[in-house]
Amino acid sequence: MKTVKELDKAAMEIRVNLLRLCNREVIHIGGDLSITDVMTVLWLNQIHYDPQNIYDETRDRFILSKGHASAVTSFCQAALGCFSPEDVINEYATDQGRFSMHSCNLVNPYVEVSTGSLGHGMPVACGIAAGLRLKGNTSSRVYTVMGDGEQSEGSIWEAAMNAVHYKLGNLVAVVDCNGLEADGFIKDITGLNDIAEKYRCFGWNVIEIDGNNIAEIKNAFANLPQASSLQPTCIIAHTVKGKGVSFMENNVRWHTGKITEDELEKALSELYSAYERRWSA
Amino acid sequence: MSKSLLRNVVGEYMLTLGNKNYKVVIVNADLAGTCRNKSFWEKFPDRAFNVGIAEQNMVSFAAGLAHEGFIVYAFSMAPFITMRACEQVRTDVAYGNRNVKLIGVYAGVSGGISGATHWGVEDVGIMAAIPNITVFEISDANQAKRLLDFSLDYDKPVYIRCGVEPVEDIYNENIEIKPGGSYTVVEGYDGAILCSGVVVQYAVAASEKIQLETGKSIRVVDMYSIKPIDKEAIRNAAQTGNVIVAQDHNIIGGLGSIVATVIAQAGIKTDLKILGIPDRFVPMAHAKYMYHKFSLDTEGLTTKMKSMLQKVTPQRSK
Repeated sequence: MKTVKELDKAAMEIRVNLLRLCNREVIHIGGDLSITDVMTVLWLNQIHYDPQNIYDETRDRFILSKGHASAVTSFCQAALGCFSPEDVINEYATDQGRFSMHSCNLVNPYVEVSTGSLGHGMPVACGIAAGLRLKGNTSSRVYTVMGDGEQSEGSIWEAAMNAVHYKLGNLVAVVDCNGLEADGFIKDITGLNDIAEKYRCFGWNVIEIDGNNIAEIKNAFANLPQASSLQPTCIIAHTVKGKGVSFMENNVRWHTGKITEDELEKALSELYSAYERRWSA
Repeated sequence: MSKSLLRNVVGEYMLTLGNKNYKVVIVNADLAGTCRNKSFWEKFPDRAFNVGIAEQNMVSFAAGLAHEGFIVYAFSMAPFITMRACEQVRTDVAYGNRNVKLIGVYAGVSGGISGATHWGVEDVGIMAAIPNITVFEISDANQAKRLLDFSLDYDKPVYIRCGVEPVEDIYNENIEIKPGGSYTVVEGYDGAILCSGVVVQYAVAASEKIQLETGKSIRVVDMYSIKPIDKEAIRNAAQTGNVIVAQDHNIIGGLGSIVATVIAQAGIKTDLKILGIPDRFVPMAHAKYMYHKFSLDTEGLTTKMKSMLQKVTPQRSK
């Protein structure tokens, strides 16, 4: 178990790597940064996953439903030792590389399920959760991370009904609620309204947290119901798109993008000084 | 000869597969009754899932179960499993190369009076264009059972299209099934009908009729494996110089398109006629009426083949 400070530092380092990569290639930087804190805690403190034994039956399964957050996933897996951060940076968006705009199992075995098209990961995760139950596996969890814009996909709600019906308490779905999708603010595009209320209404165990607060995230994960429980859990993570970089925060311009040397320098200095401020006292 | 309802044969044979292998599971989307899966449901309630009227979720859920090592049979009507859930088939089943068997009943216009919403006349074109998926169409009860037996040990995505019109029994129970296989039901050298599914029985009858009326021998080949396709059987058939391809499917993208490609690439000169459902929406009607209207029945196939045989070979100018 890591301390909040250790996890905060790890999250900061993952953001640094994301920005270094973003200086070289176009990535989905906004949605990577919003979910970085949740992903850091999930991968470095929560998930039962051994990079040396990735087909272990007792592992937790991770399905990236918002498949465009592939870069942050790869850097989290790098922090866990699946490969090095430099591998990600050097191979990303290259023709023979393991890493790109979305996660692909054909070239990267640490990707449990290839994703990219939205509204797929969650229903696949339900099938996996049901399959684990059928095999008598009562300890493994299935984690899936979705976007809030992704909630517009009807297949998400087909699965939301299904997960409750089959009592999939081994399923933990995180919604990265950063309020933005590719074309703008969600509230300006569709009537999504209160996501937490929707999952509650569908019969889920719902936990609402500040998804950019390491302590809250750690606490939420630590207090999850047992994998053998009978109700799926939805973690509504309220986040800021582009979190940690002032010119990217809450700005639709940074759904995808590439940054200049100057922008990289400014972004990194903001990250370092914010981290120093948080832990200087 | 007796007749079989392939939907019943397939749906009920799932019980046998379930007994053979404990990893066999079924996923339905509120059509367990329509797909005749009830006997499996009664025997193996824990291994039968119903996701409600949600085909997209059904296919993704099936992919998840397959990810955990189960042999998953997902049933629906052909149009819903191949079109409503098309991208789930592509992304969650095919891309991941999951052990999911997609069974589409109501293939072609066999849904008849239910109309265009319930017909699957585009499914072959769609499924064949997706990598990793093996596409079969069944024409007979024994073939259906052997195909299901085969599918149990075939660790890849499969699409099986299945009509609901009664079909004549053609094969004995030892018929061999393999991807890329075909079966010459009737041997013949003056022409060939390449077909699949419900049309095979009509082609057999047409071949017999032509033999009686004209003395010409017409080969009938059941192209039950649509992808991969038996290229050698097609090349051999093309050597007769008179080829009809007939399938209960849109004339675009189905067996006709696939066969024509093989013949063209082989550079074989032959007359070729592609029969199927025309590329327009047709009002609801009984399947038999449409098979007649579009020359897929015995009479239609006989007439079309006879007109091919009667053609006058043009004299080459000197």
